[in-house]
Amino acid sequence: MASTEAARSGPRPRPLSPHLQIYKITITMVMSILHRITGFGLYVGVLLLAWFLIAASTDAAAFGWFSAFIGSFIGQLVLFGFTWALFNHLLGGIRHFVWDAGYGLEDPIRDQMAWGTAIGGIALTLITWAIGYAVR
Amino acid sequence: MSGKSGGLRTPLTRVRFLGSSQKGTAEAWTIHVTGIANVLLGLYFVWLMLDLVHMDYNGVRATLAHPVPAILLLAFILSGIVHMEIGMRSIVIDYVDGPPRAWALIANTCFCALLGLACVYATLRISFT
Repeated sequence: MASTEAARSGPRPRPLSPHLQIYKITITMVMSILHRITGFGLYVGVLLLAWFLIAASTDAAAFGWFSAFIGSFIGQLVLFGFTWALFNHLLGGIRHFVWDAGYGLEDPIRDQMAWGTAIGGIALTLITWAIGYAVR
Repeated sequence: MSGKSGGLRTPLTRVRFLGSSQKGTAEAWTIHVTGIANVLLGLYFVWLMLDLVHMDYNGVRATLAHPVPAILLLAFILSGIVHMEIGMRSIVIDYVDGPPRAWALIANTCFCALLGLACVYATLRISFT
């Protein structure tokens, strides 16, 4: 095996702490991972905001291209994902502020807050889209 | 950085007594302050976008050219860009090692700076032209 070769050529690898695959999945864990994934998604999604603003600042034709994309099925899907990422990350952030204040770390509350973030994020997304389609 | 492999010193002894970078508190403080700002400005942003969805080009231009939406949008852009630059930096430091880490950090800073400037430029252009 490679370990004998490694023993000859240098110090043996340092022991690593166990990572995700060894633990039972919990809701706090899922929401922690989702917080980072949605943060990453929003990071990329700001490109959409930049496109929107640049198109609006340019002319009606440029804005038309943006409107056509955002109105398409793919565009609506991306925008829906962006909306969910925004609300999930926003509620996740509020949860972090609650923790920073020293609350919400005990046994039943931490799971309730994690579920609240998950359900709240989806609910706020659906409400926003319902309003979006209602005012159209 | 991973450093030279094969030396007798462990990674821990290479960094011990070098001290901290002295920037941790400021960074933690900044991501918290921009986080609070982003909650409020983000909710305003959603409300503003809901106002815009049924408008045509001229309506969108006219709405965004008003001082209050323009200033709050600029605040959201600045706060958001600073927040996402720090957030992506922590992701890079967690998952990228060695020389690629430096390049990823540089790319992150440049991406955020350009994206922020583009959004600010466009918002100001809508207001002033």
